[in-house]
Formats: sequence, C-alpha cells, structure tokens
Amino acid sequence: MSFFWHGVQDAWQLIVSGDPYLRHVIWVTIKVAVVSTGVSLLVGLPIGLALGLGRFRGRGFGLVLANAGLMLPPVVVGLVLSLLMFPAAPLGRFQLLFTLHGVYLAQVVLALPIVVALTAAAVRALPEGLFTQARAFGASRWQQWALAVREARIGILTATIAAVGSALSEVGAVVLVGGNVQGYDQTLASAAIQQVDAGHYADGMAIAIVLLGLILVVTAALTLAQRRTGRPLQLRAPS
Amino acid sequence: MSTLAVTDLVVRRGTSTALRGVSMAVAAGEVVAILGPNGAGKSTLIETIAGIHSPTAGSVSRTGRIAAALQPADLAARTSRANVELALTWWGTARRERRQRAERALAEMNASHLANRPALALSGGERRRVHLARAIAVRPDLLVLDEPFDGLDPLSRAALLDDTGSALRRNAGAVVVVVHDRAEALALADRIVVLIDGRVAASGPSREVLERPPSPAVARFLGFTGEMRVASGIVLTRPTHVVVDPAGEIDATVTRLIPTEDGARAELDVRDGRIAALVPLPGPAVGDRIRVRVTGGIRFPATGG
Repeated sequence: MSFFWHGVQDAWQLIVSGDPYLRHVIWVTIKVAVVSTGVSLLVGLPIGLALGLGRFRGRGFGLVLANAGLMLPPVVVGLVLSLLMFPAAPLGRFQLLFTLHGVYLAQVVLALPIVVALTAAAVRALPEGLFTQARAFGASRWQQWALAVREARIGILTATIAAVGSALSEVGAVVLVGGNVQGYDQTLASAAIQQVDAGHYADGMAIAIVLLGLILVVTAALTLAQRRTGRPLQLRAPS
Repeated sequence: MSTLAVTDLVVRRGTSTALRGVSMAVAAGEVVAILGPNGAGKSTLIETIAGIHSPTAGSVSRTGRIAAALQPADLAARTSRANVELALTWWGTARRERRQRAERALAEMNASHLANRPALALSGGERRRVHLARAIAVRPDLLVLDEPFDGLDPLSRAALLDDTGSALRRNAGAVVVVVHDRAEALALADRIVVLIDGRVAASGPSREVLERPPSPAVARFLGFTGEMRVASGIVLTRPTHVVVDPAGEIDATVTRLIPTEDGARAELDVRDGRIAALVPLPGPAVGDRIRVRVTGGIRFPATGG
C-alpha cells in the first residue's frame, strides 16, 4: 500500500514541479493522440460513411475487414510496420523507423479500423427511409453524407473516444516502431513501461497515474460533447 | 399538357415483376389516387415516378420538379421546423426563404404548435403532419405521396385527411397519392387508378370508379363482396345494397353476424350465392331464415373475370 502511496506522491511531485521530462512525454502523447485520431477521422469517416450508406460490390468484405481491424494485435502491427520501415523494405525510403512520424503512422493503422467500423455501424443503424426521403427531395450525395454524419454523431463521437483512447494507452506498436526513445518519441504509456523495466516502480506508477488522469480528462470532455449532441436523440416516443 | 405521363411501365424488383405495362397521365392541378390490394405495385409505381427506381421498360416523363413523401415517415433528429427547413435545403430553396416557408407549411398542416418540438418525440399522427408539411413546403410541380395516413388511429386519420386535401391543392401543381381506403380516395382525389397485380385494372373519375367498377376483380376490391349468380351472369353487391324486408323476393339464411358500430353485418347464404347486409341490433340470429331485397349492385356477364 505504501508503494502505491509513494507512486501517488511522486506523481503529484512530478506534476507540480513542472518536470520537463514529464511535460515532454505528455506533449508527445497528446500529439500522437491528436494526429492519429485526426488522420483516422479524415480518412476513416468517408470510408465508414461509404460502407454504411453505399450499395456497391465488396461492401460486405469492407465491413468484415474493418471489423477485423478492431482486433488487430498492436504488437503485430508494430512488428510488421517496423519490418516494412527497414532501410531496404518498401517504406524504408521514408526513414520512418524510430521517428515520431513512424509512431503517428503506427497509431493511425490501429485507430483507422476503429473509426471506420464504428462509423459504418452507426450509419447502418440509421433508418433507411431517412435517406430515401432525402433523395426524393433532391439531396445530393454530399448532403446525404452530411445528414448521415449529423444523425450518427453519437456513434462517430464514440469512435473518436475509442481512437483517442487507443492512442493514449497504446504501447506495443509505439515501442517497436518508435524505439521508445526517451526525450524524443516516448509516450506516457511507453515511458511507464521503461520505468518499470528499469526497476523504478514508483516512477512507473507516477507516470501511469498521470496517464490515467489524462485519459479521464479527455474522455470526460468527449463524453460531455457526446451527451450534449445526443440529447435530442433521447426523446424517442412511440409512433 | 400532362405533368406526368407513364407509358407501358414495367419494373422488375429482384426476381419478381412489380409493374407490368402501367400507363397513366396526370394533368396540372389534378389529384389522382392510386388504390390496390397489398402487393399490387402501388409503392413501386410511386417510387419509380419519384425516381427512386428505374423502369425496366417503358417510360416516365415528368414536366417540372417532383417531390415525394414516401414511407416510412422518417424524420431527422432535430426539431420539426428544422426538418422542414432541411427538405427545403435539399430542394435548393434560398436560405432566407426557408424559415418562412417552413412555418407556413407547418401552419397549412395545422402543425405550427409542433415547430419547436424534437421530431423524434412526436406521435405517429404528428410525425405524418410534419412529413406532409415538408412535402408541401417545397411547392413541387408534381407531388407524390405514399400512404400518408397509413397506421394512424381513426381520429388522427380523419383529422389529417381533413387538413391534407386543401393543403395539397394549394401547394402542389399535381398530386399522385397512394391510399389504402376508398373513402380517403374519394375525399382527396379527382380521379382513381386501381392497380391489381401490377396492372391498371380501372381508371377514371373517383365516384364513377367506386360506384361502377369495370370488372368483377375491381368491384370485389372496392367492397362489392356479395355475389349472386343470375341467368345472364353475376351480380356483385355491397352490404348497403341489401335490405332486410319481410316482403323481399330473396330467401336468405344468416350464417354469421359481425358486430359493427351501428349494428351488425349479417352474412347471408342465398340460393345462388352469398351476400351481406347491414342489420340493426337486436336483429336476426345465426341460422335464422329471413327475406331480403337487393336495391343496388352491379351486374357482370358470366364471362367476366
């Protein structure tokens, strides 16, 4: 119990002292979460909308692929990506191995299926009649997509929360691709691992507590946004 | 000139043929009701006219813009007025006009009090009002409506029917409406088209079609459920055509009594068929032999389908 208490005290000390190491790790963690979630939303939302709304050959396969992506083992993603980033490998010329850009890419690969699969599921749950009616009033494809995004906003925010959560807590792929370089591309989760590996359990615990605090703050903000946007949806009445 | 001309329209959906050579025309200012039993192809016709399905053969030619209020009446998760404004956005109405036109359309449908209510919190009848309001808000040259009163309780249905007829005539160039009930057709439409098995089985002025259907199949669908064989063919009757009268010329046996709000509908076996009559309560009992006379109905030659 005293061991846990030490961790809490150290975490508090690290936070109030404005420790530059901790500040850098938090900054890198936030950057990885923002960039990977942003790119995943940018790429994944149109794919999710197309899979949710479209009627084209291969749609079912796309949905299976996106759902399978939800279960991608991060270590496997990290291993495959790092092998692809070796100098002689296909991605070698981009010099991504052991860089922050490599970490961004690894995290996008993990977050993209989350955004695609949850967006597609949220859009598919919308009543088909809404879109048939929109077409009957002359809605363009873009207007139908805008309608889908607005109507499925709770599901899309859930996808965003899941993508951010994955970025904040991910270790396997980040360590393998980024190399867990202290002061450069280390995130809170990978820094905690390094501290534990080095036998600095209290420091590891302190970083873990900071990470949990960050997850709580970000998730609370997104959940609040989700509740605000979702309020009208809760007013369903029998027909 | 016709606002809508449908010529020899054939539509296949999957492995079945929903429409088999349908032709019809709708002139500007006209309201046409489409009636037919389940599976007759009514919704497919409406959706093809609205451009949701493509014809397999034949053609649909429209003059001007067309709007459709289809089934189900799904609304977006926003207020009723915002739903009407959304339809106006899709239609391409200028932003500055949307609010005013949405409010006017809601008022036309007696739904102004629903303007700020979340659409998903509305009852079935209220939802239909908003659904119809967005259809009339866009003021199309041709408006198609698919069973706008389906699934409503009788009171809501009657109230909505009262408000819809005049609103449609004021706000749309021409209207094609699928209805389930011949009373609705009579209340709304100038002309009726009866679809049976994907084909036009009858078409003409509403009262004429309802009172003098052109074939036994159409007559049976339109409520002529009694049937008696006569020397030259068959006579089809509605219950209102058969009167219980001790001096009547037809002997009948009561086989079933179905209570109605004003008495009962008595099903009667007669020598050459089976007919029905409306009787007050207390009336005859099942098994009683009574005499009736037939005051109306339609005669078809024996070869008629």
